[in-house]
Amino acid sequence: MKFKEKLGKEMLICDGAMGTLLIENGLKAGELPEMWNIEHPDILYKIHKQYVDAGADIISANTFGANRLKLDGTGHSVEEIITEGVNIAKKAAQQADRDVYVALDMSTTGKLLEPYGDLPFEEAYDIFKQQAIAGEKAGADLVLLETMGDLYEIKAATLAIKENTELPLIVSMIFNEKGQLLTGADVKTAVFTLEGLGVDMIGLNCGLGPKEMLEHVEEAVKYSSTPILVNPNAGLPECVNGVTSYKVGAEEFSDDMEKIAKLGVYCVGGCCGTTPEHIKRTAEKCKKIALSPVKQKHFTAVTSYSKTTLIGEKPVIVGERINPTGKKKLKAALVENNMDYIVSEAVAQADKKADVLDVNVGLPEIDEPKMLVRAIKTVQGVLNIPLQIDTSDFEAMEKALRIYNGKALINSANGKKESMEKVFPLAKKYGGVVVCLTLDENGIPDTAQGRIEIAKRMIKTAESYGLSKDDLIIDALAMTVSTGKDNAKVTLETLDYVRNTLGVNTCLGVSNISFGLPSREIINTAFFTMAMHSGLSAGIINPLSDMMMNAYYSYCALKGYDDNCENYINNIAKVEAVASGEAVDLKTAIIKGMKAQSADCAKAMLENTDPLKVIDGYIIPALDVVGQAFETGKMFLPQLLMSADCAKAAFDEIKLKLTADGEKQEPKGKIVIATVKGDIHDIGKNIVKVLLENYGFDVIDLGKDVDPELVVETAKREQVKLVGLSALMTTTVANMEITIKRLHEDYPECKIMVGGAVLTQDYADRIGADFYSKDAMGSVRYAERLFTEI
Amino acid sequence: MEIDTREILRYSGFRGASPDPKTAEMIEELKKEVELCSDPKSIYKEVEFTKTEESITVENMTFHSKKLVSHLKNSDRLLIFAATLGTPSDIMLRKYISSNSAKAVLAQATLAAACESYCDEVCSQIAKKELENGYYLRPRFSPGYADLDLTSQRELFALLDITKRIGVYLSDNCLMIPTKSVSAFIGLTRDKDCNINSCENCGNTECEFRRT
Repeated sequence: MKFKEKLGKEMLICDGAMGTLLIENGLKAGELPEMWNIEHPDILYKIHKQYVDAGADIISANTFGANRLKLDGTGHSVEEIITEGVNIAKKAAQQADRDVYVALDMSTTGKLLEPYGDLPFEEAYDIFKQQAIAGEKAGADLVLLETMGDLYEIKAATLAIKENTELPLIVSMIFNEKGQLLTGADVKTAVFTLEGLGVDMIGLNCGLGPKEMLEHVEEAVKYSSTPILVNPNAGLPECVNGVTSYKVGAEEFSDDMEKIAKLGVYCVGGCCGTTPEHIKRTAEKCKKIALSPVKQKHFTAVTSYSKTTLIGEKPVIVGERINPTGKKKLKAALVENNMDYIVSEAVAQADKKADVLDVNVGLPEIDEPKMLVRAIKTVQGVLNIPLQIDTSDFEAMEKALRIYNGKALINSANGKKESMEKVFPLAKKYGGVVVCLTLDENGIPDTAQGRIEIAKRMIKTAESYGLSKDDLIIDALAMTVSTGKDNAKVTLETLDYVRNTLGVNTCLGVSNISFGLPSREIINTAFFTMAMHSGLSAGIINPLSDMMMNAYYSYCALKGYDDNCENYINNIAKVEAVASGEAVDLKTAIIKGMKAQSADCAKAMLENTDPLKVIDGYIIPALDVVGQAFETGKMFLPQLLMSADCAKAAFDEIKLKLTADGEKQEPKGKIVIATVKGDIHDIGKNIVKVLLENYGFDVIDLGKDVDPELVVETAKREQVKLVGLSALMTTTVANMEITIKRLHEDYPECKIMVGGAVLTQDYADRIGADFYSKDAMGSVRYAERLFTEI
Repeated sequence: MEIDTREILRYSGFRGASPDPKTAEMIEELKKEVELCSDPKSIYKEVEFTKTEESITVENMTFHSKKLVSHLKNSDRLLIFAATLGTPSDIMLRKYISSNSAKAVLAQATLAAACESYCDEVCSQIAKKELENGYYLRPRFSPGYADLDLTSQRELFALLDITKRIGVYLSDNCLMIPTKSVSAFIGLTRDKDCNINSCENCGNTECEFRRT
């Protein structure tokens, strides 16, 4: 019988530790265990055979770390090590008089993926792909991807395995005592994300003993509609005289495993410290447990790399601000590739407790697939809020879903045949909850009945693609009430029926109700409350609107979703605090670091003051006050930067005004800055950038870990007069020296300023820099001097 | 984990000055956020070692550093140690780096203070236990200090299985990820006058971050 046929039908037993037994047999610290496939196949065979005799149904080949990064320099290929490893395990499996399955054992590449680490997603994919193909070719029955701690790496591996082999896939993760993965995901987030990717079994292994793991297993079973596997360690590791050991004996372990198995688990075994004896007793106690089929759970969930937003009971807020429609600043930012602006919009909405953030970058003048991927990568690199991938370009949608770190909300499909044919398979493959617009080839029905019919048809079609109604959210469509007096009514009736009769979640772009009307916020707020009351599950709104959020908190309190009205009270308090702020002028606002006031003051002044006068009369004098206070030790770095951020907010207003007037501010000069090759510490470089921009320089920021050639190439191409380099480590100053040398050789007319914690004037002189800046203001002063001389 | 506000201010370049109310408020917020998002983990073990004049050898791995040898001159026992605040704290820092530079500086300082404080807590527990045996802990000595090359991280990581045990990774350039991580040698000595803290011990009296 094939593995997949048994899965979920009878209790399966996994083997126990391999590493622990290899150490007992003489494996040294730092030695690659996989080399034993070549050097000691007899010992491996003996271990596998012991587990087979103990009653294991699944044995893992000794291929845990057999990837090209770890095998580099051993003189053996991935294919060779995996083939040997699988063959040894198969030999042992064939000795049994029952079905014993050989798993290609896989685990982390040993590197952390970008953006937290330095391994690109697609490279991780390639590494896993090579292993999976080799394993299938060698005759493995399934893949056990285990001891994983990062959902993003799991996604790369899962796609690599599923796109390149037919092998069933178990993905097992290592949770800490708090029930979190290495990169922070809780159990439920991991379960939803893996189910979205369509893995065959979800596991918990390593890290903890059975007792500590129990509550996390309960959590996994509660949320999962996929069978669960549990392979704990023999207790928590204890270090005695430099040797790590695990103390839970076979009897105690198997008693605990029996309890775990009865929670609704479909496969049990062991990890570090467990032995054939642990597995034998576990098999004796667990094999006979009768199983019922896995229960389908009904959750509509979207996830980020670490967090879940459940859509269902209480309405959730989808922040709408990252969408260029009608937003000049965002449009400009997208055209300029300015990701910092997108991050600031995302962070502002996160601070207002949005549950999901919409990301839409559709503009006729940009390459949408490329930009959407970039925007998603940027936002998910800094925030743990699930995202809504919002595009009508199917290529952009697939590319974004592929690199999205979690289970996304997908906006959108509609009742048109082509749309469903394109979007539903993507949601099935990558995981996702699809927003279904109630419109089709005939347009938007003007009756609730018409929209409900489309919703029903979409639910049915989705089912044929393997998506349940839990994976859908119906958009009842808000049409402006200014062009049809029944428009709101139709929307509300649709919401009510879809949510309460069809039992499917709903969403709305709420503010569409008021196009063409004055004071839109007022009517939006009333409609939002009515919609929530009629059955709105997810409101796509502006979370920075206090009125909308007040309506939301009020509704939740009145509806009983807010214990002790805590959220309501906290939210209202904040609104009052802002309202009672005193009036200040622009210069004071910047000096005191009041960001919102700085932008407001600048905007107000620009109504009747020449932009240049605002800059020369207020912003620059304020920056000078702050800069001098910093240089004389009266103000400190965080304060200097608060003022810099304020000045930036004021400049943004000026830029908008100039653009609107068809003018452009001439930059003082162009400067390339970079943190040198090998160095990932870029706070200092970013500070310099903020300050230089404040003073009107056009800064080309090449980022961190920058290759010397890229610096030279960019400096030459852009014809810059000044390059700024930073390095924080003694070890990376060497790369700074190389970069300077290359610049001097290839582009001698350019000056170079350097800075960073380990540098001194003396050191800077020795490596050939033109200027050593001891702090961020120093670089501004030098740039000003240099560009005035020119 | 106690995070000392004075340490945060020191790392932010305040040189003993008091913060304005706004900075003070941000620091309080950040301390809470760091408590919430950090996932501190540590691991250590005692190892047998041999030394020459310019290197020490643990198991089959040799570390070349005269300074380390002299650092350990009164130590007849040796621990290897690693600790981290976890990946989520790095992500928090990234958020501020691209959205609020003032807060990024303070967050960086708060995390640095938290990381040191966590290491100190773990080490003081070890110290308490070792005191019963009549041993004192020397300050932590890390790859990249003085003449101990940063590439020796690779050996240290292998000896302690750091990536698997506490989730710290090494970049190609031997930097640790998450960045708020520490790996170190800790000598054990019977000489009790030998355990002064590292900052005050440093020769660079002009350093802007020197403890005052």
